Amino acid sequence: MATDEPRDVTSRTDDAAPDLAEALAIIAAQRSRADDTRPSGTLLFGIWGVAWLVGYGALWLTARDGGTPSVLAAAIAIGGGIAAVAVTIVHTTHRTRGIAGASARQGLLYGLAWPIGFVAQSMIVAGLGHAGASNEVTALAANAIAALVVGLLYIAGGMMLNLTSMYVIGGWMALTGAAAALAGVPGSYLVMALAGGGGMLVGALVESVRARG
Amino acid sequence: MADVELDPVIHAQARLRVVATLASLGAHDRIAFPRLQKLLDMTAGNLSTHLRRLEEADYVLITKTHEGRTPATYVELTLAGRLAFRTYTQSLRALLGDAS
Repeated sequence: MATDEPRDVTSRTDDAAPDLAEALAIIAAQRSRADDTRPSGTLLFGIWGVAWLVGYGALWLTARDGGTPSVLAAAIAIGGGIAAVAVTIVHTTHRTRGIAGASARQGLLYGLAWPIGFVAQSMIVAGLGHAGASNEVTALAANAIAALVVGLLYIAGGMMLNLTSMYVIGGWMALTGAAAALAGVPGSYLVMALAGGGGMLVGALVESVRARG
Repeated sequence: MADVELDPVIHAQARLRVVATLASLGAHDRIAFPRLQKLLDMTAGNLSTHLRRLEEADYVLITKTHEGRTPATYVELTLAGRLAFRTYTQSLRALLGDAS
């Protein structure tokens, strides 16, 4: 096993050649260490799954008798969304700090696509309201378009990061918003909570298994 | 015995860790020196020594820049470094395959 012998013997231990199996173990260990430079899919899908489940769940609980959602439910839904945005930004910034180059630029452009999508969504919803849409039509359109924005951006993220799970969840979210529109108010809230929030939580589970495997 | 040789620049504990970490980043990504140091749990002096050796072999590119008024050093694997690491892992697998 002459190839196992260090060729260049120095006094420094970290200059020593590792044996072959050890070398493979070092590579695997550093590869998983470098996962810290990428956002955790488990955490992000998980936090958004909970936000959708709780937020839309609260809207459904207070609107299911045919009324409109309560102010408290709306506050829970909006507060949950804001908290999830904050966690996403803080976590992603923390994980990717000190990394520059192609993926930092891609990440910036991708991150900016979200506010663009949601500004467009709120302008469309406001436009429908001005044009005389009823509260029901406005609520259905707001949810379906928001889910479409999220869905298509997840699809784009899945393509960019080569993550099939993200792509699949994106397709699921877009179709969930569309199904919620067909269900009508207040059933749409339940569809968004269970299929949307539940779908993301399944995604979080899949990611955690994938990250460990 | 297979006549496969392992690249001596990479086949040293500390440098293997450095190269494996850099290779795990995206193809055109650079990493700030302090962040790399944290991922490796190495002292600044020790990391600098190994980076110099890798730089001499043209396996890493070190860029010194300024972020505002603070100087910043970024490290990235060159194409040659990436290829050398790929060859190294292939040789490693071939040798382990021969051994078993």
